Amino acid sequence: MNQREAPIIAVQDLWHTYLAGTPLETQSLRGVQLEVFAGEAVGIIGPTGSGKSTLLQHLNGLLRPQRGEVYVRGNALSRRDAAVRGVRQSVGLVFQSPEDQLFERYAGDDVAFGPRNFGLSADEVRERVRSAMEAVGLPFSCKDRLTWELSHGQRRLLALAGVLAVDPLVLVLDEPTAGLDPQGRRALLRVLSAWRKAPGRALVLASHNMEDIAEICTRVYVLSHGHVLLQGTPREVFARDDVLAPNGLTVPAAMAILLLLKARGCQVPTAALTVEEAASAIEAVLHG
Amino acid sequence: MAESGEFELLGRMTIGQYLPTGSPLHTIDPRGKLFVGVLLVLTTVATGSLLGLTLLLITVVAGFLLARIALRYALSGLRPLLPFILILALLQVFTIPQRGAASVLWHWGPLIITDASLLAGITLIGRVFAMVLTLSLLSFTTTTTELTHGIEHLLLPLQAFRFPAHELALVAIIAVRFLPILAQETERLMKAQASRGADFGRGRGNPIRRTRRLLPLVVPLFLVSLQRAEDLVLAMEARCYTGGRGRTHLIQLKARHRDYAFVAALVGIAVLAVTLSVISADHCVQGWLAGML
Amino acid sequence: MFKSTRKIVISGVMAAMLITLGLLPQGFIPTIFGVSLTPMHVPVIIGAVLEGPVVGFVLGLIFGAFSFLQAAIAPRGPGDVLFTNPVVSILPRLFIGPVAWAVYELLRRIKEPLAMAAAGVAGSLTNTILVLGVIGLLHLLPWTLIGGLALTNGPVEAAVAAVLTLAVVAAVKHIETGRRGSTV
Repeated sequence: MNQREAPIIAVQDLWHTYLAGTPLETQSLRGVQLEVFAGEAVGIIGPTGSGKSTLLQHLNGLLRPQRGEVYVRGNALSRRDAAVRGVRQSVGLVFQSPEDQLFERYAGDDVAFGPRNFGLSADEVRERVRSAMEAVGLPFSCKDRLTWELSHGQRRLLALAGVLAVDPLVLVLDEPTAGLDPQGRRALLRVLSAWRKAPGRALVLASHNMEDIAEICTRVYVLSHGHVLLQGTPREVFARDDVLAPNGLTVPAAMAILLLLKARGCQVPTAALTVEEAASAIEAVLHG
Repeated sequence: MAESGEFELLGRMTIGQYLPTGSPLHTIDPRGKLFVGVLLVLTTVATGSLLGLTLLLITVVAGFLLARIALRYALSGLRPLLPFILILALLQVFTIPQRGAASVLWHWGPLIITDASLLAGITLIGRVFAMVLTLSLLSFTTTTTELTHGIEHLLLPLQAFRFPAHELALVAIIAVRFLPILAQETERLMKAQASRGADFGRGRGNPIRRTRRLLPLVVPLFLVSLQRAEDLVLAMEARCYTGGRGRTHLIQLKARHRDYAFVAALVGIAVLAVTLSVISADHCVQGWLAGML
Repeated sequence: MFKSTRKIVISGVMAAMLITLGLLPQGFIPTIFGVSLTPMHVPVIIGAVLEGPVVGFVLGLIFGAFSFLQAAIAPRGPGDVLFTNPVVSILPRLFIGPVAWAVYELLRRIKEPLAMAAAGVAGSLTNTILVLGVIGLLHLLPWTLIGGLALTNGPVEAAVAAVLTLAVVAAVKHIETGRRGSTV
């Protein structure tokens, strides 16, 4: 990750007011600064109402900057003539419970929806669908199965394939593992990490699930009341329980256990992100 | 400065706005208002008489004054439609065959205006205004909860005739509760599909193409709502819902003297309006019009 | 008890659907003379096919009432003024559901997907024919104009209804429909 390269996405001093001019007006974003470089997995954490969803929707042009700027591959999104279609193709946004958006009878058709919208030829579409499905772990033969016959986890993977088929540079996800069982969650995280490893790509993840963030993110932003409170690597951010706790945010469970142990007088290091790290730390203390 | 986005429209939708001005009209029992509202609307249809319509219009305007709501606000909603209303009225004036036309006022080739057709045109305009204003006033002064309770109570006596008032009221309540959910889902779906390159914007292309573009929005919307319906059925049955017989209510509506007085006054006006129509008071107007032109 | 919990809930939810569809700006596809096409009659048909003629009747009533109220409070086009008359907006709509249901039941044994699409067409045509019929009988518009409207709106609305009914009901009932697989 070369910090001197231009970021794929740059958000500068972004402000947003929801339903401006009506009695229900609320400030959802207050001067947000954010960057996404190629090769990163950026996590965004924050309590409900912190503006996470609003921020995500600015990243692919669904919401245009009211004040401040959002640059995607150098294009300023506040301009009237901003190439929004191109942005939608470069930045793929996956909403919460994306399996809700499946509408085609046959699985393959739904995945093909995206590429077809961007005017690709039938052969190109077929190729995109194949690689997207394989990227999420669904065999291409599944394309002829009825969408609603698939299991819940499979349908979520299918919906993800639908976005991957557009071949975006940046994949933006809102609560990707919400509602999945542990196996489904692990499968999805594997898919996301693998996808991100290809050159030139980046991942943006908004989540309440701290374990997800700890596991795959390279950098984290903490959002609260529409403002960035803190940013850094997961280790740096989760070490700041003094900022997280007052904002209703927790640390990954593994770290939480170590913190509890420390509070009871056990001299254990608390900088663990995963269960494995925590186990090693506890083992060291037990044997040392 | 860019627009705030194509997707915030549902937040700005003002369907049947409620304007709490704290006027006496707001405190009238919703059953009374509902009954009167429906009655007046039906009367505007029942009375073919322009005099009757004028009476109704005066009543509604008085209602606005009583409710301390500016008439201009309600009329502003009508403004964009004025040209259309006029077109239709003109259509009536020029093409509808008349019964009982006393005299022809003007003609040019196939286009004829008689005193009756002119009256028909004006009546159409008056009718639309009366209806819109009455219903607007009703919604401005009554909350949705009051309306649903009012409807349920009004239909209750019909249960004696095995009319499923309670069931229908429940249907209405469920529908009202689901509206914001569906609005949210619609917005979410529009955004999700747009993120995949779908284009819901300006209606381009023939109706077939425009409809096909709606599929990625409408089909999942149906599926999601039917899924929620299943969940709701489960939830209701888990709470031992077995139908309406013998259910009691948390909120009781109590009618007071002023509510009865209100209803009585308006029934009187409605009767008067219909009477004017029955005795064909309009013949005088017709004659007067003919004499004038 | 006229209606089971199920029927009540589906009625309520489909009613909410038709109101939502009615309020979507994109839901209106204006055609000539500005009488707008909407998919609003589709929830009525779907409700009837799924839960029977009574539900269809009730949904038709709600559709009519909403159509009436929308024309009266916030008309969107010139044609809407016609719908301020309840005989035009409410009465014909009562038949959409029962007719769609009847067609579905009749054709179900032959072939399910056909029955679903046919129900959509039948319900939609009931709407078109009865509404325009009433408008003509009440002398609100000349018959030639009505004929023109029927020809432009009728088939398109019927096709829309067929496609939507088929797509949704087949999904709900987990049924395969004709095409054997994806077009990819």
